[in-house]
Amino acid sequence: MAASAGVTCLMRAQFIFLLPGYRLAEVGRWLLFVLMLGLASLAGAVETEALVVHGFGTLGAVRTTSDQVEFVRDLSQASGAGRQWRSDVDSLLGLQANWRLNDDLEWVIQGVSHHRYDGAFRPELSWAFVKYEPRPNLQMRAGRLGTEFFMLADSRQVGYSFLTVRPVGDFFWYLPFSSIHGGDVAMTVPLGEDLLRGKLFYGQAQGRLPLGSALWEIDGSPMGGGYLEYQTAFWQLRASYANIRFNHDLPFAAMLGSPLPAAVEQHLAMSGKRSDYYSLGAVYDRGPWQVQVMLNLIDQQSQAFQSSMGGYVLAGYRIDSVTPFAGLSRVYSKRRTDTMNSLLVGRLMADTHADQTTFILGMRWDVARHLALKAQLDAIRGDEDSILPYRNDPATGRWSGRMNVFSVSMDFLF
Amino acid sequence: MAGKLLRLLLLTWLLLPSGGAWADPVVIVNSRSGIAVMSRSDVINVFFGRNRQFFNGIEAQAIDLLDQHPLREIFYQRLVGKDLAEVNAYWSRQVFSGRMQAPLRAASIDEVLKWVVEHPGGIGFIPLARADARVRVVFELQP
Repeated sequence: MAASAGVTCLMRAQFIFLLPGYRLAEVGRWLLFVLMLGLASLAGAVETEALVVHGFGTLGAVRTTSDQVEFVRDLSQASGAGRQWRSDVDSLLGLQANWRLNDDLEWVIQGVSHHRYDGAFRPELSWAFVKYEPRPNLQMRAGRLGTEFFMLADSRQVGYSFLTVRPVGDFFWYLPFSSIHGGDVAMTVPLGEDLLRGKLFYGQAQGRLPLGSALWEIDGSPMGGGYLEYQTAFWQLRASYANIRFNHDLPFAAMLGSPLPAAVEQHLAMSGKRSDYYSLGAVYDRGPWQVQVMLNLIDQQSQAFQSSMGGYVLAGYRIDSVTPFAGLSRVYSKRRTDTMNSLLVGRLMADTHADQTTFILGMRWDVARHLALKAQLDAIRGDEDSILPYRNDPATGRWSGRMNVFSVSMDFLF
Repeated sequence: MAGKLLRLLLLTWLLLPSGGAWADPVVIVNSRSGIAVMSRSDVINVFFGRNRQFFNGIEAQAIDLLDQHPLREIFYQRLVGKDLAEVNAYWSRQVFSGRMQAPLRAASIDEVLKWVVEHPGGIGFIPLARADARVRVVFELQP
């Protein structure tokens, strides 16, 4: 059922492409995507020393036990799951071409079709960069590239690469941006048997955040950051920092149907305001065990968003081809005092509150080569006003705060 | 009779322990690379693409085997205790995040030997019995 629903969604996207009057760039994008898909499926994966075309995908279905709010994969989605099974929250298809020009130089292009901010499945160019490796342990990239705002953040779409159905929400919900136009440089230094790795990146964010029926543009906001990582044979420890300075205000007029008083707009301004992201991560990966512990702290300069802390622990133990896993995640944001003392401002500021704990239980079954089936239960237990992570929340700004989320998925590589 | 039994025992003694050991995977490098021995961590770092350089500065050029080759599963099982599915999941994360490409994969032990001999920083894994003078065994993976 999940599979057929997922295919329907992809087909719906195909029909959008056939509509007359569609932008030429859009058609070109689809053509390129379909061409790459054809190339990849032609020979399983095309593989020579110079050119590799391959892909990844997920067919997923998710439902919850609540109709009060809609459950989404991350805040880039405008609508999500309720009591009815939905296949568009997690289903996606990605294609990538790697073209090696010589020993030092490589082009990488990746397109992903997923349920995006406007509800469509139009493929988006996720990466398009050139990679230069002047020395074996030194790497520079320039173009459109993925950011490691948090550990594992640049492989959030590749379901096959992780245990759970989707990245842990309480930790990753806050990242509506997936790529930057810019550059990064990464370096590895061996220290005895261990490795020290560092990375710096800077660029302009790419992304849009749906808010009600309006869109908040993040495109062009400058962001930068880096991390330091210590790797032993089985442990990976990382500390990272990143920031973004938003260049657009929130679209209050479009969200509310009428413009806000200038003083309120000023009070809740986002433009020119910075958000700082701090995180610590540890991964233990040995034999049948996989354990992840992550913590983050997001400091929001703007009055419109609440600063938050989040974290999770996730552990899996493989038994033959089945890996049961269990986890616990938590997100909490700090309420701000409404210095304007206005009902409307208070309401808008409360809109970004999150305070909840999620218990995760599930299993991954590696049924065949490059094919995994997963089933997962997320038991969300939170405050009645923990509404930031959800979509189409009630006008009162409150809900029961409790629901269970059932998910199944099939992840594959080709 | 006793002689026959003794011969059989001797044959068993010769074949059994060595028969197992000869199929054990070993890590080999080009004999001119200047690398004499590697630790388990060194081998893990190279085959998982985390370190692209040997201690003497030579670029490590790893060659892997296709999933279909039975030695691949044994190698990763003994090196890190991981299934091929987990190794492939690791590489899907590296490849699709745009970080790096997986090492090229050979279809046979002959191809691995050819690669290691032809590349100064070549490094691969083969059954112990297939090692010859052109390569140097730097790490053994016992059960």
